[in-house]
Amino acid sequence: MDEIQNLTSLINRDYEQIPLVSFDEWIENPERHSRLGVGIIIEPKDDIYLIKDQLEFIELIALDFNNFDDGRGYTQAYFLSKRWQYGGEIIGINAHLDQLQFMIRSGVTTYQLLDSYQGSNEEDYSKGFSMCYQAAANNHGLNLQY
Amino acid sequence: MYKYSEKDKQFLVERVDQFEKQLNRYLSGELDEDKFRSLRLRNGLYMELHAHMLRIAIPYGILSSNQLKALADVADKYDRGFGHFTTRQNIQFNWIQLPEIANLLRDLTEAGLHAIQTSGKATRNITADPLSGLTEGEIEDARPYCELIRRWFNLHPEFSWLPGKFKIAINGAKLDETALRIHDLGLRLIKNKKGELGFRVYVGGGLGAAAMVAPETASFVPIEDILSYLESAMRIYNLKGRRDHQKKLRIKFLVRELGAEEFSRLVDEDWQQTKNDPDLKLNLKELESLQEDFALPIEPINLDGFKDKVDFNYSIWKKNNVRNHKTSGFSIVNISLTKLGSAPGDATSEQMRILAKLADQYSSSEIRTTKRQTMVFPFVRKDQVFDLWKALEENDLASPHEGTLAQIVACPGRDYCDLAKAVSIPIATRVQERFNDMNKLLDIGDLKINISGCENSCAHHHIADIGLLGMQKKGEEYYQITLAGETLHETNIGKKLGPSVSSETIVDAVESIVNVFIDQRQKEEKFIDVFKRIGIEPFKEKVYG
Ligand code: SF4
Repeated sequence: MDEIQNLTSLINRDYEQIPLVSFDEWIENPERHSRLGVGIIIEPKDDIYLIKDQLEFIELIALDFNNFDDGRGYTQAYFLSKRWQYGGEIIGINAHLDQLQFMIRSGVTTYQLLDSYQGSNEEDYSKGFSMCYQAAANNHGLNLQY
Repeated sequence: MYKYSEKDKQFLVERVDQFEKQLNRYLSGELDEDKFRSLRLRNGLYMELHAHMLRIAIPYGILSSNQLKALADVADKYDRGFGHFTTRQNIQFNWIQLPEIANLLRDLTEAGLHAIQTSGKATRNITADPLSGLTEGEIEDARPYCELIRRWFNLHPEFSWLPGKFKIAINGAKLDETALRIHDLGLRLIKNKKGELGFRVYVGGGLGAAAMVAPETASFVPIEDILSYLESAMRIYNLKGRRDHQKKLRIKFLVRELGAEEFSRLVDEDWQQTKNDPDLKLNLKELESLQEDFALPIEPINLDGFKDKVDFNYSIWKKNNVRNHKTSGFSIVNISLTKLGSAPGDATSEQMRILAKLADQYSSSEIRTTKRQTMVFPFVRKDQVFDLWKALEENDLASPHEGTLAQIVACPGRDYCDLAKAVSIPIATRVQERFNDMNKLLDIGDLKINISGCENSCAHHHIADIGLLGMQKKGEEYYQITLAGETLHETNIGKKLGPSVSSETIVDAVESIVNVFIDQRQKEEKFIDVFKRIGIEPFKEKVYG
C-alpha cells in the first residue's frame, strides 16, 4: 500500500488565495503561468497527460465534478495522486454529496460541495462505507478486504 | 458452497443504509430526478409508471436453497407472488413499491443477496458458466476468479461512473456457455505452453443495433496480473469512451473507432505502469480459500449395476433434461419452468419453495440458473433421478422441453416492457403451440429460438439458431429473422435472413426454417452445421419464395 493519506491533514494552506486559470489557458502558456504561481481548473474533457511533466510548477489543481455522470474526474484524480504523485492540493470542485467517498478514494485531497448541498450531513457520504474491496489512491480509515 | 462472510454482509447492509438515505432524500424532494436515476440504477431499481422493477444479482447463477427461499419470501411480501429469472443470472421483481425497497433489500442481505451494480453505467454482475465445476475438460472452475474480480469492481472509486454499462463474462470450460465475446469484456481461462494459468482477453463485444464479436486484446495475461490489466482497460474506456453520443456509449464503439490494435496498445501502455504494483496482484491466498469454498460438495460414488426405472414419460424427460456429470454416480438435471403462455423465466413463489425443498433433498441444497432461463440441480445421484422426476411431476415442474425447440428464450416484450417494439411471449407461445408434438420435438433435437422485443436484445436473439427481433413497420409489429448465431465453439452473430416478417406469418416462417433444416440435415448435424454447409439461400427461398 502507498502511504495512507489523511484527508484533513492535507489541507495545509489557504488555497483560496491562489489565482486559478483554465486548463486551456495553462496549456497556451505554461512558462508564463508557472512564473505567476497559479492553480488550474481541469474539466473532464481535458487531456491530463498534457500537464504530466509540468506538475511541479502548478500550485494546485481543481477537478470539476459538476457533471454527476461524467466519471473522468476520478481517473484524473488517480493519475495526479497515485500515478504521478502530485504534491499540491487536488480539489474536487462542484462536488456532489453522493460521490464524496469515490472522489476522496480516487485521490482528491479536499473538496467544495455544490451550494445545493448546504446543510447536508457530509460524513454520511464522505465516510459512507467502513470497508472497501480494492486498492486506491486513498483508503484511509477503511477496513481493507483484498 | 461459497457463502458471503459476515464482513461481506456488513458491506451489503451499509449499501442498503446508504441507498435508503438517498431514497428518502429523493422522496422528500431533496435529491433530483436525474441524480436519483443514476444512483437507483446502481442499486438495480428501474422506475416505471405504475410500479417499479428491482433486479437482484444471482452471482454466477448459483443459489443455495435458503437463498431461493428468501427470494420466494420477497416475491410474496413485496411483489405479486412471482419473480422473473433473466438471461443474465439475475432475478427481477416487477411490482415493487418505492418506500419498501430498503426493507426488501435488507431482508435479502442475511441471505447474502443484493442488487449492487445490477444496472446503471458501472460494472455489472459478472457472468460465469452455470455448469462451472460440473463438466469434463474444464481448464479450471472460473467462479473463484469471478468472485475476486467482482469484489474488486464493487464500488470501485475510479470506475463507478463509466460512459456506459460494462458487462464481464469469464469462462473456464471447453465450450463457451457464457457467450464471452458478446460481452464488453470476456476472459477465457487458458494455460500457456509452460502450463501456467492465465486469461485470454476479449474487449468490445455486444449485441444490439451494432452487434459485434469482441476482438482479442491480449493473448495471455497471467492470473496474478488480471486486476491491473482490467483496470487499464477500464481506464482507457473511462477516459476515451464516447460520452458525447448517447448511442455510442458502450466500449464496442470505442474499440471499433480506435481499432482493436490501437485500443490494445493504449491498454498495454497503461498496464506496463501498474502491472508490478503489489497492491494490484491477485490475492493468491484468497483465491485458494475461494477454491475451497467453491469445491464440489460431493464425492464419486460407485453405482455399478444400477438400473434406472423404465417409464415412457420419464425416459423422454430424461433424454432432454439430464446431462452427464464429471463426478461418477451423479447427474446434472435441468428443470424447465416453461409452460404454454407463461413468460419464460417466470417462477411463482410456490415453485421457488418447492424447488428449494427438492434441492435440499436431491441436490446438496444447490440450484443454478442458466441463460436459457432454466434451473439446474447440479448434484443429483443417478439412482435418485427417477424420484426427483416423480416429485417434479407431482408439482407440474417436469416439463420435458429442455434442449428442444420449445425451450424458447423470450424477453418480457411489449406485455411488460416500456421499451418494446413488439410482443415476445405471445410469439413464443404460438411457436410452442405449432410444435406441440413431443415426437416432432425429439426429432428436431436441440434448436435454439430466442425472441427480443426490441434492439436492446435482452433475449440475445443474435446468438440463437433462430433469432427473432421485434420491430415496428407502419404501426404494425414485424420480426426480423437472424439465423445461425452461436457461441459454444466459436462466436458468430446470426445472419439476417431478409426483410422482416409480419406478426401473422412469423410462425409459418419459423416452421419453414425448421423444415429446411430437417430436410437437409445429414446424420447428427446440428442447425449450425447445416447452415454452414448449405448457406442461407435455401432458407430464404422457403421463407420468401
Ligand atoms: S429486448 Fe427490448 S423489449 Fe425486450 S426486455 Fe429488453 S428492452 Fe424490453
